Amino acid sequence: MSSKYYGSRGSGAPSWYLQRVTGVVLFVVAIGHYILMHYHIDSGHTYDAVLARMQNPLYKMLQITFVVIGLYHGLSGTWNVFRDYKMPGWLSWTILGLLYTAGVAFAGLGIATILSF
Amino acid sequence: MSSNYPPTGWVKVLLAYHKFSGSWAWVLHRITGLALTGYIMLHIIALMSLQKGKEAFDSEMLLFRTPLFLFLEWFLFAFLLFHALNGIRIALVDLAEGARYHKKLYYAVVIIGLLLFFGMGYIMFTQDTLHSVASVK
Repeated sequence: MSSKYYGSRGSGAPSWYLQRVTGVVLFVVAIGHYILMHYHIDSGHTYDAVLARMQNPLYKMLQITFVVIGLYHGLSGTWNVFRDYKMPGWLSWTILGLLYTAGVAFAGLGIATILSF
Repeated sequence: MSSNYPPTGWVKVLLAYHKFSGSWAWVLHRITGLALTGYIMLHIIALMSLQKGKEAFDSEMLLFRTPLFLFLEWFLFAFLLFHALNGIRIALVDLAEGARYHKKLYYAVVIIGLLLFFGMGYIMFTQDTLHSVASVK
């Protein structure tokens, strides 16, 4: 692939591999997430239950990891979709820039919420 | 490549996929993936109300317990389910010997997915709604 169209000189192999690894991690964490949210609806959907879990620093770290890996996997996947279309260099750089910005911004918002407890 | 290549127009592009389970898996994986990426951002914004305290958060959660949102959440689960199960299929194809049985894997994704979808529907529309009525009022 040409850097002229895709804004990258790399083969993409590391991000291809990371996409699979993060996908498998998200698969495992998502199972836990769903059990926690739906085993009993109050366990996932009340302020008191959330506050109680947030007292545990390990749980906070898990949540931050979940947010970061989830956003990475999603936005990296979105970029993969865009990469399949031929477009001028300025456009691909703009899209890539927007995806990076969204990633940093939403990770920041999510982490700020988690750390506010 | 088949004779209708290169396809012109999006209808032709879509029709070109009809024969192969792998192509459908690819298209559905993209659609569900883009939707889930949008959802994770919405999810982060929605949970920011945690910073406003108990009342703000609990009143927001009441909205998400209404039948409409439960129904939407059920279909969110369908999207996640397909993406997750097909993602395992992709990992098996790419990192293991899955290429030898990728079609069987696809049918397994569909069958297991449907079972889990209806199982979750049963849990959400019996247990979740019952609990929501009992615990909120």
